[in-house]
Amino acid sequence: MTAIKIDRDLVRELAALLQETGLSELEYAQGDVRIRVARAGPAMVAPEAPAVAPGRGGAEPRPEPATEAAHPGAITSPMVGVAYVRPEPGAETFVKVGDRVVEGQTVLLIEAMKTFNPIRAPRAGTVARVLVSDGAPVEYGEVLMILE
Amino acid sequence: MTHAPGPATGFNVVALDAVGSTNDEARRLARQGAPAGTVVLARRQTAGRGRRGRSWESPPGNLYASILVVPGMPASRTAEASFAAALAVAETVERFAPPGLGVECKWPNDVLLGGAKVAGILLEGEGIEERGGTAWFRWLVLGIGVNILHFPALAGYRATSLAAAGGETPAPEAMLAPLLAALERWLHLWREEGFAPIRAAWQGRASGLGGPIEFRTGEATLRGAFVGIDAAGALVLRLADGGERKLSAGEVFFG
Repeated sequence: MTAIKIDRDLVRELAALLQETGLSELEYAQGDVRIRVARAGPAMVAPEAPAVAPGRGGAEPRPEPATEAAHPGAITSPMVGVAYVRPEPGAETFVKVGDRVVEGQTVLLIEAMKTFNPIRAPRAGTVARVLVSDGAPVEYGEVLMILE
Repeated sequence: MTHAPGPATGFNVVALDAVGSTNDEARRLARQGAPAGTVVLARRQTAGRGRRGRSWESPPGNLYASILVVPGMPASRTAEASFAAALAVAETVERFAPPGLGVECKWPNDVLLGGAKVAGILLEGEGIEERGGTAWFRWLVLGIGVNILHFPALAGYRATSLAAAGGETPAPEAMLAPLLAALERWLHLWREEGFAPIRAAWQGRASGLGGPIEFRTGEATLRGAFVGIDAAGALVLRLADGGERKLSAGEVFFG
């Protein structure tokens, strides 16, 4: 029995390629090692949710909010406030679609009355969707992100 | 003259000469199991922070303290603590302020002395967890900066210090005791009676209430009349068309 050393960078690269191409499955083989990456569930076309206009109340309904909220990997907002996807303006985002996150990792920040509240991943997983844009107002219970 | 408000029981002060940020240090201590009431007091900060990554100049002579508080309220309501903290800081500044110069609150938690910013507060939730289907923060890190001797020259709005305004200039340690006592009182009132009395007291001290303001978010600038704060602490802005907007994050400028 030979132990296969997992090339995390390669897997990451393949996952990114999957995202980029919109394919649902990708297999890579070299010697005896085969790596197959596939999407679970429906294909994700938009890696980021469209910007939400401040003030909400637009005519366009959000896509299937009921389905999102029912998703077992849904992270919801614990408060009314404004969501930030990066720790400060100009910084890298906390996470992006396709990232592996560990339990307790900060994935977003919600500001309300100058109280800054880090939102952490309740469990390990992969970021499947980010449903808020930087600086978007959010409601209590609104789905912010989905982990697979 | 003594400012002894009685011993601030239940606080454990960790006094440091220099630290990056008192909030970061308090958070680190919380993760290591520090008890509620732990206070990090620093003579100076080398990387003091304000809102959204802004730096907070922190030379010796001003007060820089972060207090570990167990909110005792669900995460949906922790933002209300911003106003309780602002009232405690305003009350403390007032003890040392020169007579005749008003101490006011600016939304959500700045404190003004004679219309210029004399103190800032930065609250951060820590350790979110779910209990019975409701999210709670285990900790609230309450960072407070009071300009006693120094104030920064900032573009956009006026700042001051107790020294520049002609007030008393206590050592930061001497200001800490009355500040903690006031904080304990306002947080207690909040937990016991909810946000209503905090809201009323804050609006009683609010700067520019009823007047024209400019509200800047990262994306837009809104102009209107500052009606007050709602039952959750959001700023209520009446627009020119008569419509009202409730805003929970941004900066207020007086028009």
